[in-house]
Amino acid sequence: MLNVLIGVGILVSAFLSIRESRLLVTALWLALTSALVSWLMFRMGAAEVAVVELSVGAGLVTVIFVFAINIAGDEALGSQPLLPRPLAWVAVVLAGVMLAWMVLPAMQAPEFLTGLEETSSLHGYFKRVLWHDRSVDVILQAVLMFAGVLTVLGLLTDDPFATGKEESHDLQSH
Amino acid sequence: MNYAALCIGLVIGLPWLGALLVWWAGDGRPRLQHTLAVLFSVAAGVAAALLIPLGSHETAVKISVGGAFGDFTFVPDGLGVFLAAIATVVGSLAVIFSVDYMKGEAQLGRYYAMILFFIGAMAGLVLTNNLFLIFLFWEITALTSYALISFYNDDPKAVAGGMKALIITQLGGVGLLAGALISYAYLGSFEVSVLLEKAEVLPESVLGILAFGFLIAAAAKSSQFPFQTWLPDAMEAPTPVSALIHAATMVNAGVYLLARFYPAFEGVPGWREAVMLVGMLSAVLSAIMALTAYDLKRVLAYSTVSQLGYMVYAVGAGGVFASQFHLFSHSIFKALLFLSAGAVIHAAGTRDMRQMGGLGKQMPVVRAVFVIGALALAGLPVLNGFWSKELILEAGLTGGPAWMLGVMIFTAGVTALYTFRCVYMVFYGQPAQNRHAHDAGMFMKIALIPLALGTLVSWLVVGPFGRLLEETLPFHGIHAHSLGDIALEIVKAPVTWIALGVIALGLAAWVLRKQLRLVSEPLQGVAGVSRSSFGFEFINRKVVDFTQQLAEDLRAGQTGVLSWNLLAIVVTLFVVIAILSLGV
Amino acid sequence: MIFNLINVVVVVTVGLVGIAIYGMLVSRNLMKIVVGLQLAVKAAMLAFILSGRLNGKIDEAQSLALTVIVTDTVVAVVALALVVQVRRKFGTLDIKAISTLRR
Repeated sequence: MLNVLIGVGILVSAFLSIRESRLLVTALWLALTSALVSWLMFRMGAAEVAVVELSVGAGLVTVIFVFAINIAGDEALGSQPLLPRPLAWVAVVLAGVMLAWMVLPAMQAPEFLTGLEETSSLHGYFKRVLWHDRSVDVILQAVLMFAGVLTVLGLLTDDPFATGKEESHDLQSH
Repeated sequence: MNYAALCIGLVIGLPWLGALLVWWAGDGRPRLQHTLAVLFSVAAGVAAALLIPLGSHETAVKISVGGAFGDFTFVPDGLGVFLAAIATVVGSLAVIFSVDYMKGEAQLGRYYAMILFFIGAMAGLVLTNNLFLIFLFWEITALTSYALISFYNDDPKAVAGGMKALIITQLGGVGLLAGALISYAYLGSFEVSVLLEKAEVLPESVLGILAFGFLIAAAAKSSQFPFQTWLPDAMEAPTPVSALIHAATMVNAGVYLLARFYPAFEGVPGWREAVMLVGMLSAVLSAIMALTAYDLKRVLAYSTVSQLGYMVYAVGAGGVFASQFHLFSHSIFKALLFLSAGAVIHAAGTRDMRQMGGLGKQMPVVRAVFVIGALALAGLPVLNGFWSKELILEAGLTGGPAWMLGVMIFTAGVTALYTFRCVYMVFYGQPAQNRHAHDAGMFMKIALIPLALGTLVSWLVVGPFGRLLEETLPFHGIHAHSLGDIALEIVKAPVTWIALGVIALGLAAWVLRKQLRLVSEPLQGVAGVSRSSFGFEFINRKVVDFTQQLAEDLRAGQTGVLSWNLLAIVVTLFVVIAILSLGV
Repeated sequence: MIFNLINVVVVVTVGLVGIAIYGMLVSRNLMKIVVGLQLAVKAAMLAFILSGRLNGKIDEAQSLALTVIVTDTVVAVVALALVVQVRRKFGTLDIKAISTLRR
């Protein structure tokens, strides 16, 4: 029953984060969604990732969102989408139908039943998997973080458009 | 971490570190940039030289990256270490040459960073034993080649040449990628040695697709028939770049690929014949084109295509050793020719040979080294080009049909003819104008003289070179002979004397060109056709135009409204899900 | 039985994808589109864990989910930095105002 409550909580807070027009409140709803998702992951036996998701997804990303909203500022925008609203609905319904089409056959598999049964005996190898079997991921993650930090520094420290103008001016003068 | 692994790390890592540092040094400090580039390229060259005695077929570096990609492995086998040594040593000489050649140019950071990035990637390409990494390094070399061809990016010809090179080599890259993925799908590994070992396990049709996919990749990269037109257009690059990338190293990657996978593909029906045909057509067509061109660098570019054709032909004929030995000789003498041509162009201020003439007196050093390189290109005895070319012709005698051998010998004569024409037009004859050309600068000489010495004596290492390949390439079945054996064999072979006779005929044809109106008149007719590359220029240009027009037309779909872009992404997701669910 | 954990997660995953797609498609505010992207990634993470649970390979699933978290965080950070730059350059976050790519 708790699972159902968490699930409903995730969907409601996600929906509210989309509907809300004030950006700060949107960020808070997103943080709540993230926290509930991490709780759900914990209940599925993925404890390690749940902790990371709680701290990074719900914590760090929210802080960055609030920071960005502070710099960029909020504004009232028209709610009229640039896309016909029915088209968006068609896309959503199609996504749901197609995902269900893909997932439901897998749910009939025999492994599904064992997946229902056990909860605790599954984990314990996380470190080995992370460092040995998927070490390419770890390397890529390190590179990615490095690239991300460099990008953000480049974007935030000076105004790239101003320097861009100077360069094009240089080219013209040649 | 053993010694070989350290050397491999240095050979690849040093140039890349140097590229970062040069870029970091900034264009405001050109002296620092020159110094850094020279230091790092020379250090990489030393590391590669140290790697040669460590050659073995054992895996030296093994980076585990998990189950999906297998291990990233590097093997310092004979093919790998000698090509890495060529890439780094010729690379460092080209960089040293650039100190004089690029003096005072703007944006040196971009120039040196790209060259160093290229040197590291080329060394990685030949040293790695992982198909996935081969593809990665392959594409890096293509990218840097494009960036350097278009270095003078305010010149529309340079930009067009770069685009053409990029698009056509990408076509080849697709062949390589397809081959790598198919091999992974069937063998569950990206390891090159696994593919060589288990080639018979693959179904015949699959192996055929692999073999011809790699042939397309090699032909596009090495500018072979029918892709031979991008290399001459790539001559808009600064001359040291032409010497390094478009003569000595990157264009050899195709020959390297064919030689590396020859044991796996030799049994595929029709593959060897196709390889020989591609090599022969490239050799003869571009030799004729070199005969009628007036642009000094284009003549050299055509001759590069022609000599690469010899190597490809040798691989097809089963002479992997001959092809690699010619590759070795060719890298040295062609880098020498290009660099001295660079000195000539730098001094004369033009690339048109009709406006040169009589430069020999003003630049004696450059004339001396250019003539040495030219004699090697023509295949005259005692220089390195003679020995390796004769080895190729002998491989053709045992491994290929006689008519192809005949065409190759005829091409040797044409090669001699265009080489002497080129030397005469540049250094001898009447000076076309009273321009004072200064001799090469100090750094230019530092780069030219080792190459000239190499051209004179590099054939002496044929014995150790053969042993290195024999010991470290277990699948190729190469048998090494000592220098004496090979020399004796070449001297006794009738093919050698026939080839020398034809070369002498080519020489005579140039000396007697006034009397031979009968021959030269019809040649004028060929000239027009050959300048348009026998129609292949048209086809290749159509391919490039089509790609660019497609991109231009697809721009209409870009409204810049984010919502529509997102909708397109979502629709693509649906397509992916549908494909997955249907299990296609 | 119908409210067991697996069924709940399937419904939540599909629901999150739907909400995220809708949010990204109809929002006018650039920042809200980044929020929608975040929601979609949450769904992807849940799906990874779910598949790991079903196959009994929860550790590999966790490892992949960790990669997704890192990637997603970097994407969010870079996207928000870009949003800030857009705001500086255009003075607005309205995606209609910034669609200047027309020929």
